[in-house]
Amino acid sequence: MRATGLIGWARASSPWILHFNTGACNACDIEVVAALTPRFDIERFGALKVGSPRHADILIVTGPVTRESRPRLIRIYEQMPEPKLVMAVGTCAISGGVFAGCYNVCGGACNVLPKVDLLVPGCPPKPEAIINGLMELIKRLRR
Amino acid sequence: MDLAYLVALLIFPGYAFLILMAFFLEWLDRKTLAKVQDRYGPLRVGPVGLLQPVADFIKLLSKEDMVPRGANRGVLTAAPILMASLPLTALFFIPMNGREAIISFEGDLIAVLFILVSLAFLIFLTGWASANVFAAEGAMRSALQMLSYEIPLALTAICPALVAGSLSISTIYASQAEAGLPFLAFAPPFGAMSFAIFLICSLAELERVPFDAPEAETEIVAGWMTELTGRRLALIRLGRDLSFLLMASLMASLYLGDPITPGLAWLAPLAFILKVMACAILMSFIRGLVARLRIDQTLRVFWTYMIPLAVGVLLATKLFLMLPWY
Repeated sequence: MRATGLIGWARASSPWILHFNTGACNACDIEVVAALTPRFDIERFGALKVGSPRHADILIVTGPVTRESRPRLIRIYEQMPEPKLVMAVGTCAISGGVFAGCYNVCGGACNVLPKVDLLVPGCPPKPEAIINGLMELIKRLRR
Repeated sequence: MDLAYLVALLIFPGYAFLILMAFFLEWLDRKTLAKVQDRYGPLRVGPVGLLQPVADFIKLLSKEDMVPRGANRGVLTAAPILMASLPLTALFFIPMNGREAIISFEGDLIAVLFILVSLAFLIFLTGWASANVFAAEGAMRSALQMLSYEIPLALTAICPALVAGSLSISTIYASQAEAGLPFLAFAPPFGAMSFAIFLICSLAELERVPFDAPEAETEIVAGWMTELTGRRLALIRLGRDLSFLLMASLMASLYLGDPITPGLAWLAPLAFILKVMACAILMSFIRGLVARLRIDQTLRVFWTYMIPLAVGVLLATKLFLMLPWY
């Protein structure tokens, strides 16, 4: 997963993201979309929002993982090619938030996926926080 | 084989220049789209983001390579290679450096049109071989779209050939310079109409907005590209950039042959590149300005309006050439 030189530069320069809503109330989704649209525009750093998990480098999970969405989240994670990173955006995606312990909620993405690389707390986090998280992931890709 | 020919083949109008130009046009496309949407677009990778397409390409080359179970590995390996090499071959017929293309023979316009059809077939094959419903749906739409736009594209590309009296792209380009005006301004208003039809068909050929139903990412994941990863995707993206360059430079050579450069031969390559960039920016603007059509609407546009219009423009051009004062 670690890469240096040209490949490390290329990976850090083109983090394509896939956004998956596992049951969020839409607040975090709106903030993720705000990070993509004119005011914050993360395409400056080379980030593109892609449609297919096969094309993505970073999986952005928003919302508590419900029982219905759990197998789908795992499947989407497995469909992504290595090297892949996961970013949990919002309190719900980290721990389940206010929905933790509900009969239909399996907790956050951390409880379901083998690894979550970065947690962005907030309810919802501001687009600046999401961009900061993205920068942190880019630093890790370059290292 | 002498040195000048080798340089032409490998460096200036050849491989190195064409691939760099294709990456540059992708950057230009993303920047133009970003400007239309009041964004910056790629900014941090290289000076003003110029190296963004290169970074994307290298990253995709270095990613894991997956072929889903049930997919046809042979087709998924051959199609990306062909989709990158076929437009590169077609670009050798374009007079990039002024008057003469690297390869040209009487009828190379037909060869380029044939390569465009085979690209559409490759798209269909890739989607069909991916063993994925979304990819198959995208492939079907792509095949349907091909049946509609190929006819007006071929008909309207014949108009400049009729005026020049030749089916070779280099000859068509040179004859516009001799006539002292580009074909776009020749035979008004039919030259302009033919250009507009060619532009619309190019958008459909490149599967760009408004004719991007085969890869509608809000609807069918990524269409026929859904299952492609790593270097397969890298080659297909390079192939699409090269196709973009091909359509833009076909437009520039068939319709915008210049009356300015005969005395200034050294300016000819620069003038041609500027014209290609102008055509690319025009297509990028349309991408930012319009919404996607459904596939049935695309078919209706082409079968009910574009084909009769293309036949009409072709006949009108022929009649214009038979006028006594021409």
